[in-house]
Amino acid sequence: MAEQATSSWCRRDAWAAIIQVGQIGAAGEPGVKVQLPANLQLATLIATTGSTGLERITKQLVGLDLPRSASIALSATHGLAWSGPGQWMLLARQRAGFSELTSLLSDEAAVSDQGDARAALCVSGRRAREVLAKGAMIDLHGKAFPVGATALTSFAHVGVQLWRIKDGPDGPAFEILVSRSMAASFWSWFAASAAEFGCNVARPG
Amino acid sequence: MNAQPFRLPSGGLVDRTQTLSFRFDGKTYDGHPGDTLASALLANGVRLLGRSFKYHRPRGVLSVGSEEPNALVELRTGARREPNTRATIIELFEGLEATSQNRWPSLGCDFLSVDRLAGSALVAGFYYKTFMWPAAFWEKLYEPVIRRAAGLGRAARFADPDHYEKAFAFCDVLVIGAGPAGLSAALTAGRSGARVILCDEDFRLGGRLLAERREIDGRPAADWVAATLAELAALSEVRTMLRTSVFGLYDHGIFGAVERVNDHVAVPPAHQPRQRGWRIYTKRAILASGALERPIVFPGNDRPGVMLAGAVRAYVNRFGVLPGREIVVFTTGDNGWATVCDLVAAGVRLSAIVDSRSEIDPTFKALAERAGARVFAGGAVEATQGGHHVRGVVVRDSSGKHTTLSCDLLAVSNGWNPTLHLTSHQNGRPIWNEDVQAFVPGTLPPGLAVGGSAAGRFTLAQALEDGARLGREAAVEIGFRPTHIEPIPTTDAETNRVKPIWRVRGGRGKAFVDFQNDVTEKDVELAAREGFRSVEHLKRYTTLGMATDQGKTSNIAGLAIMAEQTGRAISDTGTTVFRPPFTPVAIGALAGHHRGKDFRPVRLAPTHDWSREQGAVFVETGQWLRAQYYPKPGEQDWLTTVTREVLAVRTGVGLCDVSTLGKIDIQGRDTAEFLERVYINGWKALPVGKARYGLMLREDGFVMDDGTTSRLRENHFLMTTTTANAGKVMQHLEFCHQVLWPKLDVRMVSVSEQWAQAAIAGPKSREVLRDILDAVHDISNEAFPYLAAREVTVNGGIPARLFRISFSGELAYELAVPADYGEAMMRALMAAGSPHGITPYGTEALGVMRLEKGHVAGNELNGQTTARDLGLGKMMSSKKDFIGRLMARREALLQSDRPTLVGLRPINNAERLRAGAHFISMGRTANTDNDEGYMTSVAYSPSLGHWIGLGLLKNGPRRVGERIRAVDPVRNSEIHVEICSPIFVDREGTRLHG
Repeated sequence: MAEQATSSWCRRDAWAAIIQVGQIGAAGEPGVKVQLPANLQLATLIATTGSTGLERITKQLVGLDLPRSASIALSATHGLAWSGPGQWMLLARQRAGFSELTSLLSDEAAVSDQGDARAALCVSGRRAREVLAKGAMIDLHGKAFPVGATALTSFAHVGVQLWRIKDGPDGPAFEILVSRSMAASFWSWFAASAAEFGCNVARPG
Repeated sequence: MNAQPFRLPSGGLVDRTQTLSFRFDGKTYDGHPGDTLASALLANGVRLLGRSFKYHRPRGVLSVGSEEPNALVELRTGARREPNTRATIIELFEGLEATSQNRWPSLGCDFLSVDRLAGSALVAGFYYKTFMWPAAFWEKLYEPVIRRAAGLGRAARFADPDHYEKAFAFCDVLVIGAGPAGLSAALTAGRSGARVILCDEDFRLGGRLLAERREIDGRPAADWVAATLAELAALSEVRTMLRTSVFGLYDHGIFGAVERVNDHVAVPPAHQPRQRGWRIYTKRAILASGALERPIVFPGNDRPGVMLAGAVRAYVNRFGVLPGREIVVFTTGDNGWATVCDLVAAGVRLSAIVDSRSEIDPTFKALAERAGARVFAGGAVEATQGGHHVRGVVVRDSSGKHTTLSCDLLAVSNGWNPTLHLTSHQNGRPIWNEDVQAFVPGTLPPGLAVGGSAAGRFTLAQALEDGARLGREAAVEIGFRPTHIEPIPTTDAETNRVKPIWRVRGGRGKAFVDFQNDVTEKDVELAAREGFRSVEHLKRYTTLGMATDQGKTSNIAGLAIMAEQTGRAISDTGTTVFRPPFTPVAIGALAGHHRGKDFRPVRLAPTHDWSREQGAVFVETGQWLRAQYYPKPGEQDWLTTVTREVLAVRTGVGLCDVSTLGKIDIQGRDTAEFLERVYINGWKALPVGKARYGLMLREDGFVMDDGTTSRLRENHFLMTTTTANAGKVMQHLEFCHQVLWPKLDVRMVSVSEQWAQAAIAGPKSREVLRDILDAVHDISNEAFPYLAAREVTVNGGIPARLFRISFSGELAYELAVPADYGEAMMRALMAAGSPHGITPYGTEALGVMRLEKGHVAGNELNGQTTARDLGLGKMMSSKKDFIGRLMARREALLQSDRPTLVGLRPINNAERLRAGAHFISMGRTANTDNDEGYMTSVAYSPSLGHWIGLGLLKNGPRRVGERIRAVDPVRNSEIHVEICSPIFVDREGTRLHG
C-alpha cells in the first residue's frame, strides 16, 4: 500500500505546464538561454539579533561566509544570499542532505523552507541583460551589479530575488527566484520580452 | 507623367537606387528609402495634406519635424490605423498607406469647410457662448454637429494587434538630441569612459547638420557626423538610440522616452514590439534638442505652400526634394537668406526675397542678384493667393506699395525658439532673452545642462563648443577624468541676426497664430478684450497651444500679440510652461506588456491546474484566482452547484483548496509575547500542537484581520491570514517588530507560497485522512482533538502539517504539504475520498457554510467594524495590552446602539435576502434618518432551505426575535426579516467536535 502510494505522489514544480523546453521566439542562435535548475533547495535563515553563531556554523557546514551586504557567497554545492538585514537565503544544488543541514542550522537561526515557494531560473546569453532590462528597475551593468551581487526587486510587477553568477561563455548569467504563484505571469512577460532575441529553454536533469 | 516631379536629380540622404511604393488617399506614389511621408508627397507634388481642425481649411506641410501642426494623417488601416500622425516624421516604408483626415467627402472637396459659411460663429470661446440656447439642443444637435465638424483623425475601431514593451536604462550621462551639440557632448563624455546614452527622435543622427550645407574643420559637416558616429560606435559604454523621443523629465534624474522600434515598417517583424517605452535613470543629462523655427502671422499664412525656411532647406538638402519651383522668401532675419543660399546652390530660381528689415547686408544683396530675385527690404507679405496651394503672394514694399508675385512656395522665417520643453517639466520657467529674441531656459533642474540652440546659442560654432564643454563637465562632475581634450572643431562663417515681427498688419483675411487649433490673431485680440489676458487664460480660452503639437510653432506669436494688446513687454507677459509629454506617446508604450490578461500579475495556487481539470469556475480574490465552484454537467446555475457542494460537506466530505491563505512563519524566544501584543486574545497559554483563532486590530481599534495561528514548537508559530490581507498583515507585523518592539526576539518570514493546503471537511473527513497520513499518526478524536495542529507525514515520509480547524462547522481538517506536492495531495485525497463521494467545493460553498455558522469574513471585516461590533468583544483580553486596545474603547465605539452583528432570516421562507439592504423598523419611513444598519452577507442555506443573512444592526443582539424591514433601494425591493442569532446551524458545535 505504502509503495503504491509513493509512486503516485509526484513532485510537480512551479514551472510545470508553464514552460516548455525548446526554442521560443526568433529562430537561429538564441540570444537568451534559460535553464530551469533541478533540485534547487532553498531556506530562509534569520539570525538571532546580535548573535554570531550563524556565521560560525554556516562557515563550518557549507564553507561559506555569510554576506553582510547585498551579495551572495557561492560554492559548487551551496550558496548564501543576503536577503535583508540579518536574513539570508540558503541554497543547495541537491536535495540530499538539505533537511539535515537546515536542522543543524536551526539552533542559530529561524529556518523556513522555501524550496517550493519559488520558481527558479537561470538566464544567460549575449542578450541576457537586454531582456532583463525590460523588467528590472535596477542597473545590471557589470560595474553596478558585479558577479556575486544580489537584489530583491520586481520584474514586471512580480517580486523576485536575483543574483549574478559566474559569467557564461557568452556573457553574464543571472539566477532569479520568482514567487511561485506568479510564475505564470512572470513567464508571460519573460517569454514575450525574450522572443525577439530567440530564447532557448533547457531543463537539465 | 514624371514620377516624383519635384525630386532633385541628385543630392540628399535618400537612396534613389531603391523605390518604395506607397498610397495616400488611395493614390499610389513612389518615394525612396530615407524619405518621410511628407518629403515623398512633396516630391510627387502633393501639397494638400489635410483640413484644419475648426474651419476645415486646406493645409499642407509647414515644417520638417515633430512640431508639425498641419500635416496630420491617419497612418495604416484597420486595427493599426493611427490618427494624427505627423507626415513630417513618418519614415517612408514599402506599402505605406495614409489617409488625410477631417474632411468629407474628399480632401479636395470638403463640404464642411466653414471658411465662408459659419466662420464668424467659431471664434475663440465659441462653445462657451454660441450654443448656449436652447439648452436642450446642446446634447442632441450642437454637440454632435460640432464633433463631426471639428476634430482630428479617427481612432482605430479594433484592438491594437501589436505588442509594446517597457524597458529601463541606466547611464551616467544622457544626451538628448544628436545634432552638433549632442554629438559633441556624447563624444566628450563618452571618451572619458562615462556610460552615455544618446537619444534622437529622428531615424538618422546628425540633427540640423543633415539639413544644412555647412562645413566643419573645412570639410562637409556630413564627414564630421560620420567620423563622430564611428567613434561613438567604437566606445563600448556609449549607446545611441535612434527613433527615440525623450518626452519627459521627472524627479531624481529619471527621464521618459519612447522608442519607435517598428513604426517604420508596415507590420512589426515577428517577436518584435511596435514601440518601447523607456525609463532612463541618469546622473547627468544634457539637453541638446536644438530649436524650432517660428512662422510669421500674416493673412493667408496657412495656405499649403507656405513653409518654414529651415524646412525648405531640409527638404532640398536632406531629401533632395524641391518643395516649389517659383519661390518667394519672407524673412525677418538672416536665416531666410541661408535658404536663399542653399536654393541658389541647388540651381533654383527665386522670384523675390522679402526681408522685413530695412537694412540688407551687402553679401545678401549679392546673393539675391545671383538668384535672380527681387529684394523687398522693409517689406512684408500681406496675403497669399490660390486655392489648395499658394499661387501668388501680395507683397507690400517699404513705401506701402503692393506687388502681386506669382509663386508656388513661400519660405518664411521669423527666428527660432529653443526646444527647451524638458527644462520646464520640473516647473522651470523660461526667461525672455532680448538679445536672441526668444525664451531661453530658466532655472534648470538638478543634473540637467542645456547647450547649443536649445540654450538660445544658435550658431553651429556655439553648438559644438557647448556640446564639448557640457559633455566634459558632466563627466568630471561624476568622477570621470577626460584623458585628453580635443580642440573644438572650426566651422564656416554664419550670422543669425533676427528682428522678429509678431504679425503683419494691414492685410485682410485670417492670419493664423496656431494652425492646429485654428487660432487667429483676431482670437487673441478677442481674448484680450474679454479679459483673458494672462497667458494661461489665453491658452484655455482660445485653445492656443493645445493638441498634438502643444503650440510648438505658435505660442510665442500668441503671447507676443497679447503683450502688444495689453501694452506689456513679452518678458512681462511671460509664457505658459510645458508639461510632459514633449510629443504624443501611445498609451501602449506606457503599458508595455501589461494589458489584457497581463494587466497585472495573477497568482495561481499550486493546485490551480487540478482545479481547472475539475471544471472550476475561478474568482479573483485580490491577485489570486480561487476556485469559486465546480459545476457538473447538467447544472443550470451556480446555486444548484453550490447547494450540491454544501450538502456534500454537511453529509459526507468535501475538499477545498485553501493554499491562498497567508501563512507567516514566526519564530524566536519572544514569539508568544509578540502574538499577545498583536492579537486581542491570549497566546501564552496555547500549548504546543494546538491552534487558536485570533483577531487583530489596527491601531485605531478597528478589526484588521483574523485567522488561526498554531504553535508548532515552543518558539515556532505559524500564523494564517485571510487571502486578501496577507501582504498587509505581514507589513503590519514587520512594522510592529522593527519599529515598536525591536528588542523582541521574533523572526518572521512569509511561507504562503511554500505550502499547498487543502480543507477536508465533513463527517467523513477523518476516514479520508486516515488513508492519506502515514500510519504512525493517530488522528482519532482523542489523539487529535478540535484545534490540534501538528507536523505529520504523508505517503511514507513527505513532511506535512495537519490542523483540525473548521470554517464550515463540520468535523474538518486542513492538510498542508510542500507546494510541489499540492496536486498530488489533491489527487490522493480524491482517490481516498471517492468511496465517500468526496466533492471539491469552492469559495461560494465555503461562504455559505461560514454564514450558516455565523463566522465573519471580508464583508464584515470591512475596516469599519470593531471586535465588539462583530460579537467578538469578549475575546478582548483584559489582562494584557495589545494593539488597538485603547482606541477600541473610545466612547463612540462603545455606544450600545452601534450596529452589531446579528443573523437574519426571511419571515416568508420563499423570499430572497439581498446583501446591502438597509434595516428600517416596522412602520417607519425608509430614509437615512431611520436607517438602523445593513445586511452584510447573504446566502441560500441548503441546510435550512431558505436564505439567511448576517447584518450589522443597532442594538442588534438585544433585538433577537424582532421583525424588521430590509429595504434595498438599489434593486427596489423590500422584505420583512426576523432578527436571530448569527449561528444558524449546529449551535452547540457537536459536529465540530465529533
